[in-house]
Amino acid sequence: MKNIKYIVILLSGIFAINSCDTKDLDLTNPNELSPETYFKTEAQVQASVNAAYAHLQTRGLYGRHIFFSLDNMSQENKGNPQLEGNKRPFLNFTFDAGNDIIQYYWESCFLGISRANFVLDNEAKINELPNSVLTQEKKNKFLGEAHFLRAYYYFLLVNRWGDLPIYTKQTIVGAARSPKADVYKLITEDLEFASKNLLADSAEQNGRATKEAAYAYLGKVNLYLKKYDEALAALNQVTGYSLETDFYNNFMDETEHGPESVFEVEYDEKLGVGDKWGSDTGGTGSAEATFRGQEYGNLGWYNVYPHDNLLDEYESGDKRFAETFYVPGSVYNKGASVMTASNFSTSEGNRRAGWKKYQNYYKRTDENQDSSINFKVMRYSDVLLMKAECENQRTGGSQAAAIAYIKQVRDRAGLTTSIAANKDAVFKAIVHERKVELAGEQVRFDDIMRWGLASTELAGTGFVAGKHELWPIPNRETSSNPNIGPNNPNW
Amino acid sequence: MIMKFKFAIIALVMICTHNVMAQSKTIQGVVTDATGQPLPGASINVQGTTNSASTDFDGKYSLRDIKSTDKIVYSFVGLVSQTITAGNQTAINVKLIESTQNLSEVVVVAYGTQKRAKVTGAIAVVGAKEIAAVPITNAESALQGRAVGVTVINGAPGSSPTVNIRGLSTFNNSTPLYVIDGVTTGNLSGLSPNDIESISVLKDASTTALYGAKGFNGVIIVTTKKGKKGAGVLTFNTYLGSQSVSKRYDVMDTTQYLKYAKDLGSDLTARAAEFGNINTDWQDQIFQSGLMQDYNLSFSNGTDTSSSRYSAEILKQEGSIIGTGFERYSFRANNTQTIGKLTVGSNMGISFSKTNPERSGGGRTLLEHAIKMAPYLPVYNESSLGGYQGPSTIDGQDAENPVRVANLGYQYINGLSIIGNIFGEYNIYKGLKFRSQVSLDYYTSKDHTFVPSYKDGSAHSQGYSTTTENNQWGQTIMFTNSLTYKTTIADKHNIEAIGIIEKTSGKGQNISAGSRYYISDEIDQLRLQDPSLGSTSYEQNNLGYIARVNYDYDEKYLFAVSARRDGSGRFGDNKRWANFYSVALGWNIAKEDFMKNSVFSTLKLRASNGTTGNDLIPNYQYSATLVSSYFYPIAGAAAAGVSTGNAADPNLKWEAKNDRNFGLDFGLYDEKFTGSIEYFNNEATDILFAVPLPASVGSAGGSQFQNIADISTKGFEVSLGYNDREGDFTWSATANLGTSKNEVVDLAPGVTSVLAGPSPRAGLENFSRLEVGQPAFYFYGLETNGIYKNQAEVDAVFGPGQTAIQPGDIRFVDQDGNKLINADDKVNIGNPYPDFTYGLNLTAAYKKFDFNCFITGVQGINIFNATKFELQAMQRLFNASTDVIGRSIVANGVVTNPSATLPRALGASQNWASASDRYVEDGSYARLKNITVGYTLSGTAFDKYFSKLRMYVSAQNLITITNYSGLDPEVARADGNANSAGIDLGRYPQPKSVIFGLDVTF
Repeated sequence: MKNIKYIVILLSGIFAINSCDTKDLDLTNPNELSPETYFKTEAQVQASVNAAYAHLQTRGLYGRHIFFSLDNMSQENKGNPQLEGNKRPFLNFTFDAGNDIIQYYWESCFLGISRANFVLDNEAKINELPNSVLTQEKKNKFLGEAHFLRAYYYFLLVNRWGDLPIYTKQTIVGAARSPKADVYKLITEDLEFASKNLLADSAEQNGRATKEAAYAYLGKVNLYLKKYDEALAALNQVTGYSLETDFYNNFMDETEHGPESVFEVEYDEKLGVGDKWGSDTGGTGSAEATFRGQEYGNLGWYNVYPHDNLLDEYESGDKRFAETFYVPGSVYNKGASVMTASNFSTSEGNRRAGWKKYQNYYKRTDENQDSSINFKVMRYSDVLLMKAECENQRTGGSQAAAIAYIKQVRDRAGLTTSIAANKDAVFKAIVHERKVELAGEQVRFDDIMRWGLASTELAGTGFVAGKHELWPIPNRETSSNPNIGPNNPNW
Repeated sequence: MIMKFKFAIIALVMICTHNVMAQSKTIQGVVTDATGQPLPGASINVQGTTNSASTDFDGKYSLRDIKSTDKIVYSFVGLVSQTITAGNQTAINVKLIESTQNLSEVVVVAYGTQKRAKVTGAIAVVGAKEIAAVPITNAESALQGRAVGVTVINGAPGSSPTVNIRGLSTFNNSTPLYVIDGVTTGNLSGLSPNDIESISVLKDASTTALYGAKGFNGVIIVTTKKGKKGAGVLTFNTYLGSQSVSKRYDVMDTTQYLKYAKDLGSDLTARAAEFGNINTDWQDQIFQSGLMQDYNLSFSNGTDTSSSRYSAEILKQEGSIIGTGFERYSFRANNTQTIGKLTVGSNMGISFSKTNPERSGGGRTLLEHAIKMAPYLPVYNESSLGGYQGPSTIDGQDAENPVRVANLGYQYINGLSIIGNIFGEYNIYKGLKFRSQVSLDYYTSKDHTFVPSYKDGSAHSQGYSTTTENNQWGQTIMFTNSLTYKTTIADKHNIEAIGIIEKTSGKGQNISAGSRYYISDEIDQLRLQDPSLGSTSYEQNNLGYIARVNYDYDEKYLFAVSARRDGSGRFGDNKRWANFYSVALGWNIAKEDFMKNSVFSTLKLRASNGTTGNDLIPNYQYSATLVSSYFYPIAGAAAAGVSTGNAADPNLKWEAKNDRNFGLDFGLYDEKFTGSIEYFNNEATDILFAVPLPASVGSAGGSQFQNIADISTKGFEVSLGYNDREGDFTWSATANLGTSKNEVVDLAPGVTSVLAGPSPRAGLENFSRLEVGQPAFYFYGLETNGIYKNQAEVDAVFGPGQTAIQPGDIRFVDQDGNKLINADDKVNIGNPYPDFTYGLNLTAAYKKFDFNCFITGVQGINIFNATKFELQAMQRLFNASTDVIGRSIVANGVVTNPSATLPRALGASQNWASASDRYVEDGSYARLKNITVGYTLSGTAFDKYFSKLRMYVSAQNLITITNYSGLDPEVARADGNANSAGIDLGRYPQPKSVIFGLDVTF
């Protein structure tokens, strides 16, 4: 009896002492790293840069929504009855500041900018690493990638919104909008740093930003700003590329990173797609596929189909038509199947055509909601057409040189080239060529805006001049950022 | 000299005879209950000493060493205890009776028990008899309608109900703390309701302050049944029943749908003819009658020095939606053993469960798909991969076949839960007791999902099979050491003091993995093809120091004070420790001399003021971390990315709440009428609030947790009861009514309002708003004013030249008259909190019959009916409510049927994407929650077989009176968080059920 008593007292004493240990309250998160101890090895620096790329893949951008919003607005698409309610308003410019696609686009870009700023905020820490851990060349390259991505995201933003809050450091305080001239200045500076510090395409891994890509975008930005001389100077640095002989090689999974590809947004379904229905903007998890094929494919959801106006733009004999669109009679599935009229059926009747660009039907009959085809957001043919435009527009430029660039692109398409050597004719030729060469590649709307052709190209669509050149700042921003200021005009 | 000696002798003799007169004796007797049945296990205790005994199987007891001045207390949990002075008697027989609310009853409180008379705080008690009156699967359901101020909302079978005490006080998790035999745990899902002796709900700070940082949302203390003294008692309970959802949404049939589709531009007559022009009722396809069965066996026995109880239960419940169900096998063993001054014991419960949860397709519920599916499509199609029929592009829509979503492949969640404790109690000295307890709360959960390949149409296919596994385990170990001292000074001053040290350490891990398999559908396990993998773990430790002193003067004047100091591993170094206190006063007016002959048998006034805290936020929030789960394909391989994660706040600390409670308890005519009125006024500060960061700053997660909000919650609770216990026909009734109003007092500095989300439907904007001066998460949206009938009406609002909004679209009120409809025109369109909730409970007994029914209701609440997004939105071709047949038809810019209340089909996106008062409805309801009739067989005729047999039939949710158009106004919340209050997500409606049951005591 007594023994039990003593045992109990002893045990309680042990319990009581155990209870008093306060060290156990100091806990560290075993699931995540801490910023204080980071940036110690090359792998860590590289990983911080990799994260900044991840937002390009999100559904807010090239995963799902960017091609809808831009292709719908540019009237390259028309909508089928099953087109969802948040994408339909882009066809007739009835979207508003509550539209979730606009919100996701905004968020994905700014999340990417913040990831890039994480690297740039730690520039000093990175530069302090000894040479044995990380060479100066690599340090510059990593910083160059961060600058490139920041510039890329801001470019995607400035085309849609104009004035924007500028963030060059990570912060949690919302900034007021700076005029778009300042945004362009930041983009240009970032691209200039990138162009000097990134590796050349031949030396860099597939998927990363390269020197040539930086120059190509520097050229594009300057072209949009109508600074033709600076644009041409940058574009002339994009060397070492040539046009694919087979146009469709640009749009197949197996022939990615070919001789025409300058910069791509990467996808690869084999690397995991478990989180593809997760966050629209998050960037984390394995969501390495895009929904482009499933959404556009006439054997898939067929949410949109090519506008008659676009189909009619192609000249007869233009090889690109059969590579951009499927029509009844098209061969697919590695030659094993042929499209029939019923493959283009909708509850409103049969359509004339479906998209072929960026579809997986060339090798299988089902998209499987996973496409691994990278988006060639910068192709050499785009560079050539931009050079042509610069030559045509700049003072002291040569129409002949411009026509020569256009001819390269048309030769590949199996077409002859005869354009009158005056500014207007060359300009018209460029407008046409860009429309058919880069159809469905999200450049047309930006082109219409910068050329001021909305009144003819977007007549009767619901486009309101003075309003729809820009998107409204999304509600999620205006309700959480007291400094953001007034919305875009007429929004 | 001799005189002095004589005096001395006489004095001595007198003293001796005095002693002889006061000489200790033995007292014996029988303790019975109200019906005269012997009461085994009642405790008898001589006040102010440790001299005690308990009754045997026949209710007999015997107490030794009793002096005539001793006061003997007879008590039994749940019954009115009696105090009798020994006097000259040697045989004292006592009858202990029960009551709905009686001040002499013993009540379980924080870390102990207390006589109801001495309770100074707000406590609601539900006893075993009330719990047994209604067949329930989850213990939380026992509280519904019975404990005023407690709301319980049930979910799918196998899921824990959402319980809330006294309304909203935080934006975050508002789940109360559950304590089972001193073990704190997250929910009561592993507990068999038959094992419950009583549930005490602690509602104000003076009762919850002892739980410190965990007592913020109230505490629910469950005491399981222990063994009773006497020979073994074997009981068997069983019930069998069926449940089903009978209400349906009125959606279009094939003929109506084809006409509707034609109006929208799609001629589907040929398509419908392909399938034979059938009409599939998709709602009927997904609802079913679910069988419920329960078998429960328990055995209890006890001696003078030990007691034990063992029980086992098998519960099987099919859900009212196809593919759902819940099974539970639980065992419990409670033992105590007394060896002299030492008592040791253990309470252990183990349960195994298997849940088939409601499956969803594409993030949408089965009900959503059932509403949207085309009625001319059949359910099955033998020639398609997987065997089901779904839509193709020709159908112009892509709802998923809900039968395929529910039945193709499978999903089950296997759970194991162990809750138990081991304790030792030692009576060191008169009135001084030491208790030490170790407790364990352990669970594992394995969620396995398998979906084979299928292609039921061009819209939905999966060319491979998928398997996912999500396994978690967690354990919490608590050490509790306490020292209690009870004493009575000068017969009038009763003091009880307790000091406790409690340490909790918890840890757990979660592993999730998934893979695809392209080769065959026969393998339903993980394979190394397209794998995804991740795991997280957590550790959480708390340390608490607690002290409480209760003092009362002759049970007339009561005073209680307590203090607690808590340290938590969830908070940063600077804010780790916090202190809580409570003070309470009470006055038993009925015990005063001047009240001796009044009608009041009970009249008590009480008031309390105290603080509690809430630490239920996610772990590790105070430290900045990097997120390492970014991936991007570089050079053909997945390159890992690391970047900043949440924006952390190192000053993160507890949420704190100051509760003030005033109460009046009364009882008249010897507790024939009982009642209580309470008023509470709680002020919560430092509420953790995810301050939304501007989207443009690009913070992953988009928000930062900060302690910056203040909420105030006030309300009344009234409960009244009547007991008529005379004669053959006895009946009692209790009615209760509770109100709770919350208001956001303050948000972050400079922030007067925040729009919270996420919205319940993709494409519908957020509408839950926090605003200073308004109830939390009220509905914020546009006010509607009919439909635009013609272009002139449109131009009157927007001015000429605007084309996005056309005749036939909904007219929103332009509150500021600036010709734009935007966020500036939004107003308060609904309040998701009830004006009041009420319950009415009726019990009656006549000879061998017993009857019980209770009604619960909610009045004045607004529900946001998100299902209207499918039923009436008409944003594209889907099946919808028959209401759309009467929609606005526009011809030549004019609405041809101006009396229509619905807008035109495929109208402006504002018609559905904007949150407006069209989605908000009155959700008031009254529901006959339960009605039971039973018949008991007992007596000498049956003694050979059993001592008591009760048969009963019971019906639940039989009648509901409401104007709400949805399937069920009792809307289940998506989670324990407050911001989904009052939103109907199209989830599990409460089924009606009819049950037959049998309770046998051998």
